[in-house]
Amino acid sequence: MNMKKHKKVIAFFKELGFAFTISRFDDRLIAQKLVCLLELRGINLGYPCSIYVRGPYSPNLTEDLFSFKNEFENLETSARLSSTDKETAGDLGRIFGLKPVPLEIGATYGYYAISQNCDPLEALRQVKRLKPFYSEAQVALGISKAKEFLFRPTPGDLEELKKETGIWQRASLKTLEH
Amino acid sequence: MPEDILSILNESEALNAKVFSLVRMKLLASIAALGPDGATFRELKAALTINDGVLFANLNVLKDMGYLRSEKITSDGKELELYTITAEGHDEWKRIKSWLRRFLDCEA
Repeated sequence: MNMKKHKKVIAFFKELGFAFTISRFDDRLIAQKLVCLLELRGINLGYPCSIYVRGPYSPNLTEDLFSFKNEFENLETSARLSSTDKETAGDLGRIFGLKPVPLEIGATYGYYAISQNCDPLEALRQVKRLKPFYSEAQVALGISKAKEFLFRPTPGDLEELKKETGIWQRASLKTLEH
Repeated sequence: MPEDILSILNESEALNAKVFSLVRMKLLASIAALGPDGATFRELKAALTINDGVLFANLNVLKDMGYLRSEKITSDGKELELYTITAEGHDEWKRIKSWLRRFLDCEA
């Protein structure tokens, strides 16, 4: 990863319509969690996360957010996103929006489930341990969004689902006939 | 520079002895790692499993020593207390880490 890795992050922020302001705590939090979720989805931005008191976090990203403050705030970048990157940014924006709470919960759950290979129950336990100040409903929503963004169904999964729900769909169609 | 245990132990006098408590070391280490971003009271409480009273008292000691600063911030509509490390705190933490490394590497 080169010295200008922050430029690709700015391109993602631009695609997401994220007007970043360094002095805002929530903006710095959103920036951290967006990058963490993108890395977990397999996009190598050069800012891997590990666990700190703030949950999954990249000190290198913080350093660059402050060092290249003007570029981030003005969304100045020469980097271009590929169509796959744009699709991923679209998913991220559609599923999470730019809301700090679901992003924080989703990134924490994703980090434990993917980077630490925890089973879903253990990942949930870790989220509740690190973020006990969020309600059950907020945790459930954040995790559901993380699952939607990070775990995409394979063709096999979709086939299984079709078999499982097919019987109900046929039954409901039959009911409509009456 | 001599690396005998006695020299290393005597060099510890240059460090601030008030930082050498488990809670203060945990706080300084975890807040220093976040640089200018800092951490909120509730995040420190949850992640380090320190109760309110002990956490508040020790954060204040570190603040009084000039190693931390605090400010009120708003996150998701809630007012929170954010703690960040100062330049002095950062320097002291670097000195402590460097001394601890030498102490652990000493073969005595």
